[in-house]
Amino acid sequence: MARMKFLCDEERCIECNACVTACKNEHEVPWGINRRRVITVDDGLPGEKTISVACMHCTDAPCMAVCPVDCFYTTDEGVVLHDKDLCIGCGYCFYACPFGAPQYPQQGAFGARGKMDKCTFCAGGPEEDNSPAEFRKYGRNRLAEGKLPLCAEMCSTKALLAGDADVVADVFRERVVRRAGNDNPDLNRRRQGNPWGWETAYKDSR
Amino acid sequence: MMWRKTALRKGFLVMLSLLAACYEDPYDVTLHEAHVYKGGEDVHHAAAAWQNDQLRKRFREVQTDR
Repeated sequence: MARMKFLCDEERCIECNACVTACKNEHEVPWGINRRRVITVDDGLPGEKTISVACMHCTDAPCMAVCPVDCFYTTDEGVVLHDKDLCIGCGYCFYACPFGAPQYPQQGAFGARGKMDKCTFCAGGPEEDNSPAEFRKYGRNRLAEGKLPLCAEMCSTKALLAGDADVVADVFRERVVRRAGNDNPDLNRRRQGNPWGWETAYKDSR
Repeated sequence: MMWRKTALRKGFLVMLSLLAACYEDPYDVTLHEAHVYKGGEDVHHAAAAWQNDQLRKRFREVQTDR
């Protein structure tokens, strides 16, 4: 069985935000929620890097581990989804997620949190495939139609890849091998820093 | 005086019999397994094998390098 994953190639991302727009449009995401975001690391500095981030559908998902009502599940394709009928909007998953994927619509006065919303890898939710209820709560179910997430399909530079982890890894490996002989210092990750990784996330923690 | 005592005793017995149905069985509780998904089942119409092939084909068509 395939294990679905996202991968964003920081050497290719041009910060066009087409993935963000495509996602919002496809799923009619409510105002104030971005299931996908484009972030720039070391903005304005030489060697800045841009990456597109959403739920990474972790194999051992921390959101799933901390949920007090156990509303998360993993599909056969390895996509982490949740049941909005069970979600109580406690926010634990928001604090547990290292990617800031879970988000909450503001409902009512005093900024009360609604049900958690996050990227579904265009796989909908537990409701019947492509039913109005599923679309209303989770957005379109493209996987059931044999399509991949629109953010990745829309990406003009093919920076964002979404699909079976083995196939995605093969594509990325080929790219890395092709870049290996390039003398461009911008492509020297060791010197410029890697946007994915411990050093970038926590800087010099000593 | 005597009839009041009898009435009180009878009332007490009636109350006891009524409350007898309100006991709580300490073993009759719903225990939830931690970290086990509690929501509805996600049923897919498409066969897993078909969907797998379709998604691989789609990836090659749409996302491979130009």
